Amino acid sequence: MQSELGHLHTLIHVIAPLPDAVWQDFAAVWQPFDARRKTILTAAGETEKYLYFVVEGVQRAYALREDGKESTLVFTYPYSFSGVADSFLLQQPSRYFFETLTPSRFLRTTFRQIDELLLKHPALERLFRLAVSQTLSGVLTRQVELQSLSAEQRLRAFFSRSPHLFQLIPHKYLAEYLGMDATNFSKFLGQIRFA
Amino acid sequence: MPQLLTKTTRTMYQTAQLLEKLHNDTEIFLQQSIQWQLLPTTVLMAKPGPERWSMAQCLQHLNFYGDYYLPAMERAMREAQGKGSRPTPVFHPGWLGAWFTNLMLPQADGSLKSKMQSPKNAVPSAQPDALATLAAFIEQQERMLQLLDLARTVNLNAIRVPISLSRWIRLKLGDTFLFYLAHHARHIRQAEKALAAVLPIAARPVASAKTG
Repeated sequence: MQSELGHLHTLIHVIAPLPDAVWQDFAAVWQPFDARRKTILTAAGETEKYLYFVVEGVQRAYALREDGKESTLVFTYPYSFSGVADSFLLQQPSRYFFETLTPSRFLRTTFRQIDELLLKHPALERLFRLAVSQTLSGVLTRQVELQSLSAEQRLRAFFSRSPHLFQLIPHKYLAEYLGMDATNFSKFLGQIRFA
Repeated sequence: MPQLLTKTTRTMYQTAQLLEKLHNDTEIFLQQSIQWQLLPTTVLMAKPGPERWSMAQCLQHLNFYGDYYLPAMERAMREAQGKGSRPTPVFHPGWLGAWFTNLMLPQADGSLKSKMQSPKNAVPSAQPDALATLAAFIEQQERMLQLLDLARTVNLNAIRVPISLSRWIRLKLGDTFLFYLAHHARHIRQAEKALAAVLPIAARPVASAKTG
């Protein structure tokens, strides 16, 4: 638990350092939580109760399409926050599923606890504003990549950003995330890896 | 190698422990096969000898069984769930199930005792599509994990699943899981041997990419 909190502290220090007393309050609301591979932590229709901090493993959020297929929206891995962000922040039913793709370890806390702390500590409110801003920036970057890069360019960009994912999870999730079919995915991946 | 999958004469299992072990074995198969995604298709498709299966052929053979058993086990569990099936603390293998499982399992030293003839409909094609075969294999292992979760809610002794060779022979669900995973262990060992045999010849770039 101490080393997990240490990782959380490091992440927060990068975003916006907290005064000691605020950090003590914030550190006190987290509980360790483990989940095995392919565990659905939040289903569509449920409201996200938890904010997760990923200590180990890979997770994804995905939407279920009308044809029954899945669209992977985002991957998370250590050390970052995770969960269905909009459902958590707005406390409205999730439109997405959130699941583990490998055995995973987290710290997690509830909306109620976070909400109370945000009202109490302006420094924490600011931290959350900055964290959500960074998330928004990431979402817009992905939007640009989806609309203006070719499939091969998207794969190259993703491979240089997150090369470790390629040996951790089934490639179908990566291909799905990048909007590519399996054949093109493996062809381009081969070109990148053996170039 | 998964621990459970060595020769056994056990007459009972704690159900929760059994399902946990089967889950861990499947998790190991998954972690291995996720690594195999990084191999070039030439390696997956290379045969270590004229009469021996390539890695892709081993996996396709297992996929044939998965195509039959995964839906069959799920159907049996869903039906039983509808009829109020409840888990029991202990699972007792049936004599036929135990015999099938032992037939499949490697010896304690890891060697395979009997050369077995695969049924005609489970013989892999000469050149399976390696990528599609591996992707399907991985997907089947993920589904297996979900079935093992589902199995925690039902009775492994009472539910019966017809074997692929004959719908008249029905094994207990617990035996079906054990037999199915023993069969996997057998052919995954074979796939590993195929890989070890072809890797030095066929794939120098991979060997260097792996260490680099």
